[in-house]
Amino acid sequence: MFTLHGTGVGFGIAIGTARLIRRPGQEVPEYSILPEQVDREIQRLTDGIHSATECLSAYYEDMREEGTDEVQALLDAHLLMMQDPILLEQSALIIRERLVNAEFALQLHCENLQVVFRNIDDPYMRSKSDEISQVIGRIQDELLGQHAGQSSLEGIKEGEIIVTHDLMPSDTIEYKKYRVGAFLTNLGGPISHTAILARSMQIPAIVGLHEGIRYLKTGDTLVIDGKRGVVLVEPDDAALDIYEKRIAKIKRVARELEIIKYQPARTLDGQTIELNANLEFAEELTQSLECNASGIGLYRTESLYMNRKEFPDELEQLEVYSTLLGTTERPVTIRTLDLGADKQVDGGRRNMSLATNPALGRRAIRLCLHDLTLFKPQLRALYRASIHGDLRIMVPMISSQAELDQLFTVLDEIRDELARENLPFKPCTPIGGMIEVPAAAVTADTFAKRLDFLSIGTNDLIQYTLAIDRIDDEVNYLYDPLHPAVLRLIKSVIDAGHNAGIPISMCGEMAGDIECTRILLALGLREFSMDPAVIGAVKQRVRGTHIGEMEPMVRDLLTINESNRYRNLIKLINR
Amino acid sequence: MRFEQDIRVINKLGLHTRATARLVKLCSQFDSSIEISNDQRRADAKSIMSVMMLAACQGTELRIVVEGEDAAEAIRQVTDLFESRFEEQE
Repeated sequence: MFTLHGTGVGFGIAIGTARLIRRPGQEVPEYSILPEQVDREIQRLTDGIHSATECLSAYYEDMREEGTDEVQALLDAHLLMMQDPILLEQSALIIRERLVNAEFALQLHCENLQVVFRNIDDPYMRSKSDEISQVIGRIQDELLGQHAGQSSLEGIKEGEIIVTHDLMPSDTIEYKKYRVGAFLTNLGGPISHTAILARSMQIPAIVGLHEGIRYLKTGDTLVIDGKRGVVLVEPDDAALDIYEKRIAKIKRVARELEIIKYQPARTLDGQTIELNANLEFAEELTQSLECNASGIGLYRTESLYMNRKEFPDELEQLEVYSTLLGTTERPVTIRTLDLGADKQVDGGRRNMSLATNPALGRRAIRLCLHDLTLFKPQLRALYRASIHGDLRIMVPMISSQAELDQLFTVLDEIRDELARENLPFKPCTPIGGMIEVPAAAVTADTFAKRLDFLSIGTNDLIQYTLAIDRIDDEVNYLYDPLHPAVLRLIKSVIDAGHNAGIPISMCGEMAGDIECTRILLALGLREFSMDPAVIGAVKQRVRGTHIGEMEPMVRDLLTINESNRYRNLIKLINR
Repeated sequence: MRFEQDIRVINKLGLHTRATARLVKLCSQFDSSIEISNDQRRADAKSIMSVMMLAACQGTELRIVVEGEDAAEAIRQVTDLFESRFEEQE
């Protein structure tokens, strides 16, 4: 048994078997073997090469029909490389001399070859080294139980623990489908995609393991303690026993939350609070209705655009939005496309220039206003779907009045178009803005005058305000939702909304963080939108809060100048 | 039997992937050992990776050493392959 440490995110504890998902160019596991295991390891290597060769030959046969000469020649060469006696000989020698596993021996051999290639003058010849890496990679995949040409996610079993370098946002739907048990990644921080996904699946994850996953292999038994950020590898019986008891306790708490599901979200001093659900996929609607959310505070439309070649047209979107709105009578806030930055579709096909700092680049509403062929079909679909329910349209990342001018012009055009085409829609569908750029938060009053509602997007607001990249685990310890600068910005947005008489909501991770609930209530927030999975816990916190008692303490929080007193005050508030 | 022969790479792309594959396949048909070398390294002509590492582009001078029962036939066919520019259009 040994342990690995990272940042724990998501929910609770999981016990399961590891499943390594390798991405091209990613490290393979490295472990030592005993001298008496050498022959067996070399046999493993030989078998791995053999089955990789079979796989590639089969593929080669398939390609014979349709492939071009060029592809044929390349595959032919790859087959020869795989069967190259020197590859086996040299890698076996490394296993014998360094007592390491076959995958890693191949890696070392590959690196030796790369050194030679790097010194070749001819750039064409130098590029051949990539082909060697590819061939060796195929054999490594085979040894790791992933077959060439197969999707790396195929064959995942329910409850397995996904171990990988980093999760791609585009993989998320797949993982939900497979009902995996937990995630372990080298990269990522508390609000990386892995963390958000884990929370929404109500499973634990440990991110920021750095190169930790190299010590794991498919089939290892793991205990994932999401709260402490600890991975137990091949745990002994005593450790397993402790963790099984903890899992039982977590289930008991979940049952308690179940009981308060149909009780109102009302504070001790009688304020009713709206707890809405955030949706990533339309299919999650049932889950959020089950936990009795007051409505949908944020439906992210990006998933409609990901994992596909062509963007969805107006009719396809109309169908999705209409179905969603038709399923519930409660209000549904749909956010227009928020692509760019960490959410790139197909390598940013529409956004070819790779900005040096995508978080500050042409993303979200900037991208949409730049490319109306992308934006207009979505807005038309939204307006047309508006007749099926209680729709609110929310625009992300708004930062200037000029953008609002442009937005309103486009919306006017669309309403005119739809009226001319005699298509039914609700012309007075509320239009709101997401306040997530500090500039917009500081001048929230000017936005509140022109929009029907505002919603505070805390993930970006915090990272822009504190200048912390949320996925950079070297600085994410500085990511602090309760930084006075953040709290003051939030307060000014809430005040601006109240003065203008429009609803103010919050839809970032902070809205679902029970450590923040009381502070936000005292700042005047009455509408929260969060992952459906945490609504129960937040409701419990709301029901145990007397806002009036919190207000003086939270006022202090905004002006305090000692970090110790600040932390103590937060503890006091959350006691 | 042992034969040595100097040969010049005359085809335009040199020992690129397809040509190397052809050469290695041809050499593998013979029982004789076949070694190809440039001024820096030696390669076993039956190992594609080893031949690739010669990085022989157009104009490179190579030495071929063949040793074994069928060496005469091997050296003839290997030189033919080089001289025919690997039977490719250029």
